[in-house]
Amino acid sequence: MKRVFTCVVCPNGCEIEADYEGADVRAVTGNLCPKGRDYVVQELVDPRRTIATSVRVTGGDQPLASVRLTGAIPKARIFDAMRAINARTLAAPAAIGDVVIHDLMGLGCDVIVTRNVPKV
Amino acid sequence: MRNYDIIIIGGGVVGSAIARELTRFRLSVAVLEREGDVCTQTSGRNTGMLHAGFLYKPGSLKAECCVEGNREFDRVARELDVPFKRTGKLIVGFTEAHRRRLEYFIERGRTNGVEGMELIDRARMDEIDPSAGGNFAIYCPTSGILDPFIYTVALAENAVRNGARYHLYTEVTGHEKQDDGTHVLHTLGKGDFACRWVINSAGLRSAKVSEMLGIPGHVLQPVKGEYFVLDKKAGAFARIPVYPAPTDRFTFDTHATPTVDGNVLVGPNSVNVDDGEDYGVSQAGMDGLQESGERMFRHMKREYYIRTFAGARPKRVDPATGEIQDFLIETRDDVPGVVNLVGIESPGLTSALPIARRVVKLLKERERLEVKADFNPVRKGIVRFSDKSREEQARLVAENPGYGEIICRCETVTRAEILAAIHNPLGVNTVNGIKVRTRASMGRCQGGYCETRITAMIREELGVAIDAVELGPKGSRMFTGTVKGGAGA
Amino acid sequence: MTHRQAIIIGGGPAGLAAALRLKERGVDDILILEREHRLGGILRQCIHDGFGLTRFGESLSGPEYAQRFIDRVEAAGIEAITDCTVLDITPDKTVTAVSRVHGFMQLEADAVILTMGCRERTRGALATPGTRPAGIYTAGVAQSYINLQNIMVGREAVILGSGDIGLIMARRMTLEGAHVKGVYEVQPYPSGLPRNIEQCLNDYDIPLHLSHTVVEIRGRERLTSVVVARCDGRFRPIPGTEEEIPCDTLILSVGLIPENELSLAARVELDPRTRGAFVDEHLQTGVPGIFAAGNVLHVHDLVDFVSLEAEALADSAAEYLKGGGLPACGLEVKAGANVGHVIPQKISGTRDFTLSLRVRSPLKDVRLTVRQGDNTVLSKKLRKALPAEMLQLAIRAEKLSRDADVEVSVE
Repeated sequence: MKRVFTCVVCPNGCEIEADYEGADVRAVTGNLCPKGRDYVVQELVDPRRTIATSVRVTGGDQPLASVRLTGAIPKARIFDAMRAINARTLAAPAAIGDVVIHDLMGLGCDVIVTRNVPKV
Repeated sequence: MRNYDIIIIGGGVVGSAIARELTRFRLSVAVLEREGDVCTQTSGRNTGMLHAGFLYKPGSLKAECCVEGNREFDRVARELDVPFKRTGKLIVGFTEAHRRRLEYFIERGRTNGVEGMELIDRARMDEIDPSAGGNFAIYCPTSGILDPFIYTVALAENAVRNGARYHLYTEVTGHEKQDDGTHVLHTLGKGDFACRWVINSAGLRSAKVSEMLGIPGHVLQPVKGEYFVLDKKAGAFARIPVYPAPTDRFTFDTHATPTVDGNVLVGPNSVNVDDGEDYGVSQAGMDGLQESGERMFRHMKREYYIRTFAGARPKRVDPATGEIQDFLIETRDDVPGVVNLVGIESPGLTSALPIARRVVKLLKERERLEVKADFNPVRKGIVRFSDKSREEQARLVAENPGYGEIICRCETVTRAEILAAIHNPLGVNTVNGIKVRTRASMGRCQGGYCETRITAMIREELGVAIDAVELGPKGSRMFTGTVKGGAGA
Repeated sequence: MTHRQAIIIGGGPAGLAAALRLKERGVDDILILEREHRLGGILRQCIHDGFGLTRFGESLSGPEYAQRFIDRVEAAGIEAITDCTVLDITPDKTVTAVSRVHGFMQLEADAVILTMGCRERTRGALATPGTRPAGIYTAGVAQSYINLQNIMVGREAVILGSGDIGLIMARRMTLEGAHVKGVYEVQPYPSGLPRNIEQCLNDYDIPLHLSHTVVEIRGRERLTSVVVARCDGRFRPIPGTEEEIPCDTLILSVGLIPENELSLAARVELDPRTRGAFVDEHLQTGVPGIFAAGNVLHVHDLVDFVSLEAEALADSAAEYLKGGGLPACGLEVKAGANVGHVIPQKISGTRDFTLSLRVRSPLKDVRLTVRQGDNTVLSKKLRKALPAEMLQLAIRAEKLSRDADVEVSVE
């Protein structure tokens, strides 16, 4: 089977064609660097994503802090991750880098605050 | 059950003018308006013209009321603190057939009492507005432009100041007459109202309301008109309303009119419709407006489009012939306690106060009205930062820091003005209500910067819940709730 | 009247980067005027990652990227007035502004730096037929409600326009439980970056309908549906292809317009291709001492490039402030075959400069050529070139002459 991927590792956005059967990647063409190959293999075998969302903050000068994951998680777990994150509320002050959830769902990455929310 | 001497059905410009005029007397007056603000239907969906009165049949109410309303408007605008410019108007022609028609209307204007109309040549046209097309034109000096929203709001606020009550979101659904002659009006979800006089000022619904009150048989044909609103940059080129020669049906085809705030309106077209309250604008309509707009106005360009809107003229027609009729302002001996206004289309805006005075006259013929000594015809509007000189602006900011915070960048509207609009005397809390009172969101970014701020201010100042914030019409909820954390934000 | 050396209009990524570089170059009297309550510009609401890949080698969210600059601006003691709106700029660089705290201000500047960003194209400007119900939002406004105010705008959404903001909002709304029924794009190719098509649409099975547009909006109080149709090669809807899509929300991502009203007041001439100022290689506009960078100059897709552009501006502005002038730029840079626009539009031919451009349509296996008369200044093979991806190239002075205009083409 052949499929074209757009690599998202760097802004080059190489269009990479992969020739594969199930999880067995036969050939990869179009990548300018080996990271592209790794990306394509990962996409075929176990696609991963990082997500960004928001968390409610109480007592802050704004109602939300933005958050993101520090690493990529399996694509299939995205909505589980959202549910876990939605269950949290922070109390101001919140600062960039604060850990909201450590080792999210045991997947090896944290959820961190990405926008400062001072106390009101 | 709430009891009033007089209830007016309909909070448009005519209903509000009637309310205002009635508060000159010792009467309890209420306006029942089905929407959440005044001026939401026909009153707010037009060209904003103060007409001179030369179009209408001599002796008709349209002619009389129009000329009367036109003459007094400088004073009215001062009293009510509403924007108004007596710009004059050019009605241009190209051919001999046009010339004959223009001469006909000058004569008709003269008969109706319109002053100063003359047929002018190209040289005079160039002095007045060189960008106007045509070989000759009627110059009509008494025509003008106004803001129909602010005018209606001003009438309503002055009425309220003088004791009238506005019941918004109050739609009349039924009517009963009690044995002693008292009228009882049933409403949708707002209970019953009783009164001695009902005044039907329901515009597009006036034929239905007339039937409800016991006067069937009036027929309205809604005629839809669509408009483009163009950027103030185009407005810089439109000094004075320039119209094409009237058609043989005594109407004007698409024209480009400057607004009192400096935009340009291109339109309206005319389409008979069944549902006058379907305000969607059609592709065909826009294509037609673009085409005829370009002919009348060189700056009818896509890059100047701000938005479109539509309205419908409630034309009263003869049920047998379909012929368009005059304003109807009637009382009937067999239906006592009702003043019935049906078919108040153009020049309704110009004629609002004259119509109101005729309603008062009809009441005076049937009962003694005692004049109120403390009636105050003066109403002060929200002070507009953007209208002021730099010195005046500096002074405003020094007096009130709320003037130092610009909420609407495109129209330069400050927090102080938005707050004043939010805390308006009628209790209107919609985004459009703030918009028409301040001009916020009317600019080229159409609320891209200010809307998030205005909705936040409405919520903070009035305690409106997130899922209750409305854009304008009843039910126009803007949001579904919070993103995180349930109710609070 | 107060006098300042450099006044920066807009404290977003462009203004912040310019301020920092000006300070590094020895300009001490800097004032940033920002109309929002906080610095950071549009980045504050761009909570997704992908910012800073080249600048910091990390994939940051918008607020994090902005904070890196804000922290340094604060550490450097650069003055910024927030909640402050500029009302007017004159060609002689008098800035009129108001703020709650500082009141009415008139300031004379030696240099004015325009970094006001851009606004979104509206439904009204599109002239989409139909009604005007609640539930129609430009993507940036929806993003502001959702990411800053904790307000959800709707549940069943259609997105018109495949620009990056629309794609980002497709994902954002889906993550928050909305059902995004589809993205409709009038062009035969997407307007946004391929990685966003992948991560915002494909990941969530949100269909992308190319060569489609919304031909009617329905609903009186709140949106109830839109009618979409397929379009021909001239973007005209094809009769008979209409389909009604029930929805309560329409998100518009149909174009960004550099916010140049103040520039016009200062009599800065705008390039109709970019809707931003004509600038020379110093990023100086036609008005001496008025400079422009960032989205107000031309709409960017990578904030890392915005920072670079603002820093280049600051280098020139610092030189201007110290020396009182900059070398004249009498040579034109023309957008040739397949090139939509170029920045700068004028050069001197004596200095290195960064050339930015976008191609008009998606191209594969092409060559970008910068020519000056008979001389090839730069020639580069490109595997692909997309309108969604701005190209930035360093042009070396030694390759340039002073006697002919330059043309950029991609073929």
